[in-house]
Amino acid sequence: MAESRDDFIIAIRSAFLKKSTKQKFSLLTLALFSVLIISLSSFDFKIIRYLKIGINEFVYRSSFIVSIPENFIKNSFFEVKSYTSFFKDYKKNKDELESLKSNYISNEIIQFENIELKELINDYVSSSDKILAKIIVDHDSPYLKSIIINKGSKDNIRIGTPIYDQSYLVGRVIEVNYKTSRVLLLSDLNSNVPATIAPQNIQAIITGSGDYYGEIKYTKEKIDHEFSDKSIIYTSGTGAIFKSGIPIGKLKTKENVTNKNFVEFFSDFSQLKYVFAEIETRSPVINLDKELNEINFSNLDTTLETKLNILEDEIKIIDESNLKFKEENEKLKGELNFLKSNISRMKNKIFIQKKKIDQFDVDKDEIIFLKLNLEHGHKCRKSFLNNKGFEINTPEYRNCVISKEINNE
Amino acid sequence: MSKLKSKSLLFKLYGLMPLIILFISVLNEFDFNYLNLKYFSFNFPFILIFFFTLKDFKHFDYLLVFIAGLINDTVVGLPLGISSLSYILICIATSYIRNITIRPNPIKDWFYFLFIICLISSINYSILSLFFSYNLELNSFLINIFFTFIFYIAFVSIFKYYIKSLND
Repeated sequence: MAESRDDFIIAIRSAFLKKSTKQKFSLLTLALFSVLIISLSSFDFKIIRYLKIGINEFVYRSSFIVSIPENFIKNSFFEVKSYTSFFKDYKKNKDELESLKSNYISNEIIQFENIELKELINDYVSSSDKILAKIIVDHDSPYLKSIIINKGSKDNIRIGTPIYDQSYLVGRVIEVNYKTSRVLLLSDLNSNVPATIAPQNIQAIITGSGDYYGEIKYTKEKIDHEFSDKSIIYTSGTGAIFKSGIPIGKLKTKENVTNKNFVEFFSDFSQLKYVFAEIETRSPVINLDKELNEINFSNLDTTLETKLNILEDEIKIIDESNLKFKEENEKLKGELNFLKSNISRMKNKIFIQKKKIDQFDVDKDEIIFLKLNLEHGHKCRKSFLNNKGFEINTPEYRNCVISKEINNE
Repeated sequence: MSKLKSKSLLFKLYGLMPLIILFISVLNEFDFNYLNLKYFSFNFPFILIFFFTLKDFKHFDYLLVFIAGLINDTVVGLPLGISSLSYILICIATSYIRNITIRPNPIKDWFYFLFIICLISSINYSILSLFFSYNLELNSFLINIFFTFIFYIAFVSIFKYYIKSLND
């Protein structure tokens, strides 16, 4: 018994401490070193942070280079796949574009109204720029759903910067290096986004599921029946994590799963190639009351000027929308005239056809009469032997022929 | 003379193949994301490290395995050192099994591998959820362990063929 324990201890000691001639470090040293790194990485030391940024920069670039063959295969696969549904997509996109164009103008008006209202409540006005970023690494890990983009602190990216695919929310930045950043996708288990479900106007938190869909959590109880598949989810702006009104996805109720609502994201995270990072700069709005107290006319002028500019812009947009409506009106008028002429043409056609039908009826009656005339004419015709008969082509003669047929029947 | 030199260089590169593949795999992650296979993932570095350290392959430096772990953490986005610890634990386990085994048996190794990856995944799960407050899905861990275990035998036959060709 003691001997086997000794053997075990010897084997363990040998495994930990013995190093062959080629090995520079024993396994125990390396294991302890790993534990040390794990402990240090949990603390936010400046030196470790810089070291990590350095390693990240190097590794992300290397990973991008190493992934080139894999990405090539992946892209080819998707390109072939997209060619098969090319025409269908084109038609769908065309329809969508038409509807989006009409929505665009009304959106612009709302945006200007929003700015004006924010100024009225003395909030800050955030001006944001979207910069294009390329995804350099997008490996699907069972632990973390994230992507790495080629923009970092050099391009004013900060932790929490929202990332978009067109205008759809994709995620937010969780790690910033000098020229690269890691973006936590909305589908990750650790992602939580305060959102509003429209049109029901229900506040909720959207969390990732670790798969390509999200889950709705923390809503008021017993309101599930209010949801429908047409519900749209967008950021509520609560907690100042994201701006309000950024589209996230559509609500999806799964038939087999009860009491659970899922979010189908507008963006397909597996297909991302380029994304937009929104860099925000906040400028405080001039306080009107203060300005009035100081009777600073020059500043007042600038405020009024700004307001006037906004109003001018608004007028410009309204003019544009009016113009668009006028154009639409003209188009509809043209269509109406065309339809009217079509109707009159159709009416003429119907009149001619009716006439033809009447004539046909007359001819039909005449044929029937002639047929009867052949049969009974000799009985109704006035002749030497038949004094009671009638003259041919008189109405009496005609009646006589018809009555003879009726009598026979 | 130059031909001989280039031949020896190629042979050296061939000998370093497992390490090169290890670094490519940690930088590349060998994902099957674009195939849209929902429940499919396996940890190739685990198989590679387990096999070559078990065979005490001369070019398989522990320090390089440790660095590969650091790279893997950076690429995957895990706290630095987690994968290094996992890889080094595999090395320790294989070193131990080498010491206690007189007659190697592939099936025994296979099940020993299952035990090791279960242990390492448990440690990973515990560290990530307890110390780093990660929300993790247990299912994905189990699926990963299952496929890593299944693929072990397939990869071992390839690696054996490689070692045989190297010895020849």
